[in-house]
Amino acid sequence: MRLQGGLIDRSKTLRFTFDGKSYQGHPGDTLASALLANGVRLMGRSFKYHRPRGPLSAGSEEPNALVELRSGARQEPNTRATVVELFDGLEAASQNRWPSLAFDAMAVNDLLADFLTAGFYYKTFMWPRAFWEKLYEPAIRNAAGLGRLSMEADPDAYDKGFLHCDLLVVGGGAAGLAAALTAARAGASVILADEDHRLGGRLLAESDLLDDQPATTWIADVESEFASLPNLRIMRRTTVWGAFDHGVYGAVERVADHLPTPASAVRQTLWRITARRMILAAGATERHIPFANNDRPGIMLAGAMRAYANRWAASPADRVAVFTNNDDGHHSALDMKAKGVSVAAVIDARPDAKAFGDYRLIAGAHVTSSRGRLGLRSVQVTHDRGREWIDCGALGVAGGWNPNLQLASHQRGRPVWDDTLHAFLPGDLPAGMTVAGAAAGHGSTQAALASGTKAAVEALAALGMTALPATLPRAEDRASGLHPLWHVPGKGRAWVDFQNDVTVKDIRLAHKENMRPVEHLKRWTTLGMATDQGKTSNVTALAVMAELTGQSIAATGTTIFRPPYTPVSLSVLGGGDTGTHFRPRRLTPSHEWARAHGAVFVEVGQWMRAQYFVQPGETHWRQSVDREVLATRKGVGICDVTTLGKIDVQGADAGAFLDRLYANPMASLKVGMVRYGLMLREDGHAYDDGTCARLTEDHFVVTTTTAQAGPVYRHMEFARQCLWPELDVQLISTTDAWAQFSVAGPNARKLLERIVDGFDLSNAAFPFMACASLTVCGGLRARLFRISFSGELAYEIAVPARYGHALIARMIELGADLGVTPYGTEALGVLRIEKGHPAGNELNGQTTAQMLGMGQMVSAKKDAIGAVMSRREGLLAEPRVLVGLLPVNPADPVVAGSHLFTKDAEQRTETDEGWITSAAFSPHIGSAIGLGFLANGRARLGEVITAANPLQGQQIALRVVSAHFVDPEGERLRA
Amino acid sequence: MPEAAVQPLLALTALGGATPRKAVHGVLTLEENPGLALASLALRRGTSRPTPFGIPLPDAGGWTGRDGVSIFWTAPDQWLVAAEARADSDFAATVAAEAPGCSVTEQTDGFAAFEITASTGEAPILSLMAKLVNLDPRRYGPGTATRTGLEHMSVFVIRPAPGRLSVLGMRSAAGSLWHALETAVARIAP
Amino acid sequence: MLIPHPLLGLRDAQEFTYLGDAALLNRPDGLTAPEAFNDYVYLRDNPAGVHRELWFHEQGDRSWLIVTRNTLTHDILGVELARDVALGAKGAK
Repeated sequence: MRLQGGLIDRSKTLRFTFDGKSYQGHPGDTLASALLANGVRLMGRSFKYHRPRGPLSAGSEEPNALVELRSGARQEPNTRATVVELFDGLEAASQNRWPSLAFDAMAVNDLLADFLTAGFYYKTFMWPRAFWEKLYEPAIRNAAGLGRLSMEADPDAYDKGFLHCDLLVVGGGAAGLAAALTAARAGASVILADEDHRLGGRLLAESDLLDDQPATTWIADVESEFASLPNLRIMRRTTVWGAFDHGVYGAVERVADHLPTPASAVRQTLWRITARRMILAAGATERHIPFANNDRPGIMLAGAMRAYANRWAASPADRVAVFTNNDDGHHSALDMKAKGVSVAAVIDARPDAKAFGDYRLIAGAHVTSSRGRLGLRSVQVTHDRGREWIDCGALGVAGGWNPNLQLASHQRGRPVWDDTLHAFLPGDLPAGMTVAGAAAGHGSTQAALASGTKAAVEALAALGMTALPATLPRAEDRASGLHPLWHVPGKGRAWVDFQNDVTVKDIRLAHKENMRPVEHLKRWTTLGMATDQGKTSNVTALAVMAELTGQSIAATGTTIFRPPYTPVSLSVLGGGDTGTHFRPRRLTPSHEWARAHGAVFVEVGQWMRAQYFVQPGETHWRQSVDREVLATRKGVGICDVTTLGKIDVQGADAGAFLDRLYANPMASLKVGMVRYGLMLREDGHAYDDGTCARLTEDHFVVTTTTAQAGPVYRHMEFARQCLWPELDVQLISTTDAWAQFSVAGPNARKLLERIVDGFDLSNAAFPFMACASLTVCGGLRARLFRISFSGELAYEIAVPARYGHALIARMIELGADLGVTPYGTEALGVLRIEKGHPAGNELNGQTTAQMLGMGQMVSAKKDAIGAVMSRREGLLAEPRVLVGLLPVNPADPVVAGSHLFTKDAEQRTETDEGWITSAAFSPHIGSAIGLGFLANGRARLGEVITAANPLQGQQIALRVVSAHFVDPEGERLRA
Repeated sequence: MPEAAVQPLLALTALGGATPRKAVHGVLTLEENPGLALASLALRRGTSRPTPFGIPLPDAGGWTGRDGVSIFWTAPDQWLVAAEARADSDFAATVAAEAPGCSVTEQTDGFAAFEITASTGEAPILSLMAKLVNLDPRRYGPGTATRTGLEHMSVFVIRPAPGRLSVLGMRSAAGSLWHALETAVARIAP
Repeated sequence: MLIPHPLLGLRDAQEFTYLGDAALLNRPDGLTAPEAFNDYVYLRDNPAGVHRELWFHEQGDRSWLIVTRNTLTHDILGVELARDVALGAKGAK
């Protein structure tokens, strides 16, 4: 029902639907408050027994009132109706019920409750084993879960950001406001974050006055001062959900969750806040007192009941009762009465309880049962004079307050039991954190304000700043007078954890089955494992366990908390970038040219490389690749090889440095020449390969493979800074600075002669493995390297990257009569396999120089990374070496990954003689070819062996040949 | 030799255009800067610090600029020297002449340079930085430069002035970087 | 985590690449002490507690740092430039 007053804007009406039915509410309402105002108490079904449920709370701790929000692609399951801000046109639906909320067929589980007790999953679905996959799992999956996903892509944008401050205040209630005000006045950079859309926290839910004025007056004054402080950032609708090492906090700002659609804005922003100090002022959560049938819609926390009345002008019923073990429950009754709601009785478990006003008090009594199938009708009260049924539509339960200490516990800080407050308080705090207000056990408004101020003064003092405590308003300072009552003894099911349907009986069972440590209790019963993470149940459950074991609560212990404090959507954690923007994409300088010329691209790490170029009439990639390979071997081909890592190495000791990085000698390289280099890991295995070009005495340019460009640079910096810091060496990556093209084929020289500015390319002047700086195309500075990956006469030419596009276009234009052809990575692969050059497949981290046929290159005359370990006995004894493989039947395939066996040998692990690393169709040979590592391969040239590919049931006869299928004498590349 | 060979080659910007890209969103302007020439300068062992173009080399995290030339610290004993509108020159050679005995490497085309300007002072730049990089603006204010991560890319973030932010990223990832910057700029703009 | 970089102040650990035990600085000489390599390559400590470890400021100034960190609490007790440490060790020899 709707009451008078409240913090809602009655001048505007918002229409919304719940399960298809239309209702009205006002700005300021939550979905739960609007439904209660409309007389709707039933909002959901419990997870296991599908029990009808209404809201237990008025905040983010809500276990019961979970709804699906919106429709279509924006449908969102498991949102808490208690924190959903109402907007015009909001569509909500109940979940975990079929066919309707009022009649749920799955409620049959409730009748099977004796069977579905704690641990039933573990006990029941054990056997027969075959039933698990076919029967149990599908059945459980069908019955389990709460809301449904839309199964459509999320259409909204999500953002992220980074903030830095002196002080982060978590929670905008009395303590948080006082802390933020004190610190911001002192000039510290302060962030104040609160999950609510309105500052004030619990003050908004109370009728207590501050300085004889409504609390909202004081809050408004504080907010207007906040607005004048540029060093303070207020973050509303922002949940700080995790506390991480060294003062890093995770927060989610719900930028547009309160709007029908986010429009142009993002929906949520994930903030990473780095704070030198943090004040946790997250308040407290009320706990309930389990009694038989305590889960009917209308039974809620007493503080929530008065919050609905005071803040939202809503009541779950026109006649209510309160069940309490402390004075605070009486204030709920007084507030309801003040709002015009009839109070049937206050049932106080304390025999000596006194009334605070004019209402019926039943002291020394318990609520022992309730009636009402889809909503509370009456409660049974038992006292030493007997029992009676009291009619009421709602019952507020007040069992005391648990400090919200979750964030204090995210770094394994153990909460500590306080026997005076009968609650866990934050224990060991993470560095930089202090706790204030109700979160620290300072429950009264007066104490909360004072502790917030004090915490701010201390936090700033720790930063060397001086803050003056803010002048505080006079506020209530009541004691709670709590006498613990953890559950009402008796038969019948008394719920402890509402969402996961854990009852006192389940805890008894766990105790009986020796699942007594809190960690076991939690997992055996699923206590506290739902979306609310036990905020309203954990402490109560372990108090019950303590009672069963006869131990104190302190000795029983408690579980600790992990992030997130409240559920965080995967969308916001995943960030805003999807599709092609999911990760950076690197384009080569000739990308646009290649696209315009039919290139099909392939992802190579972050790079997009042309895989092959489709010409008119080509319908299969092999046609394109074969044509590119043949044209390169016959005329000249051009391939963009910019992606190879390029590192500039300078300094007086550059040669000596490279000598230690590469297994083969580099210091002896002559200026103007290039040398192939093999890098080993320190454990003696091959790491990476590339070329070193010596431009001047103290200036080298080295290349790495595309994939290892980053790691090799890091490795070189490690060698420079950590191993040989005494050497004079400077490193810098230049990968992106130069567009580099391979120009390969018998006509390569003729083509290059047409672009160089009078540079002598003759074999005598610029022999194989020469390099030079020169100019091309009328003065453009360039670098030329005579190196070959294809086995052909070949060069690599580099120009500043901005000219890459124009250079390839120019070369293609000028080379028409020479048969010039662009080729992609696929042809590049075929060409290098035909020549027997190792690449990533052969340099996979498991191979050695010796296996690659480069054992002789590892110099024994100098110290280089990996050289010593490469001479280990075990590695030297490795018999497998790189060979070429040719199918005996030219129509047979060669499949990389196949394992090699002696012909007709039994195929077992022990008889395995190697494997195929690379395979391709060679248009030059006219059949498939392969490279592989074969035991004693060099001595077996001509032998026919078997390649086994058990995955496809293939046994292929292969002839062992030289890995150099093309030009084994190297005449072409020296031409 | 055919005639075409002597026609000069035409350069493209990092984003692949003939002219630089520009986007205006509210008070923020994002612009590609293809004219920026870059060269790295590293001290050799035992050499003294030069003052190229008369500019003292800044300390860790620092940036100094004047008359279209700026220098910022990139690593111990290493700096990047930048000059406006000189990308077509052999800037590395110029820097080498200004810093004798140092190791100088051409870097002009190693980076895509993007300039962001706010017409209303520093506030929009700070809001933008908070969405882009995990740097404390109190430490990285005007007169600083540092490398950091931005959407999984390594970038230099330069603060030449309160209302300006320059971002240098890998040239090959210019498109991804532009997307990241423009998305953030558009969201910040009122 | 935040790493207090000796030159740049507190920087987020996401900017760094982790390598491990700083004992990797003590590389034996391959020509004079080849027998020491097995221990150097394979025998490293992985203590639950205070550890000197190598971090590379990959998205930063490309410095290798030696971070002294308690692996149980993540407390960082000290940070040095690896180059300074390595030079110091070479000078001491």
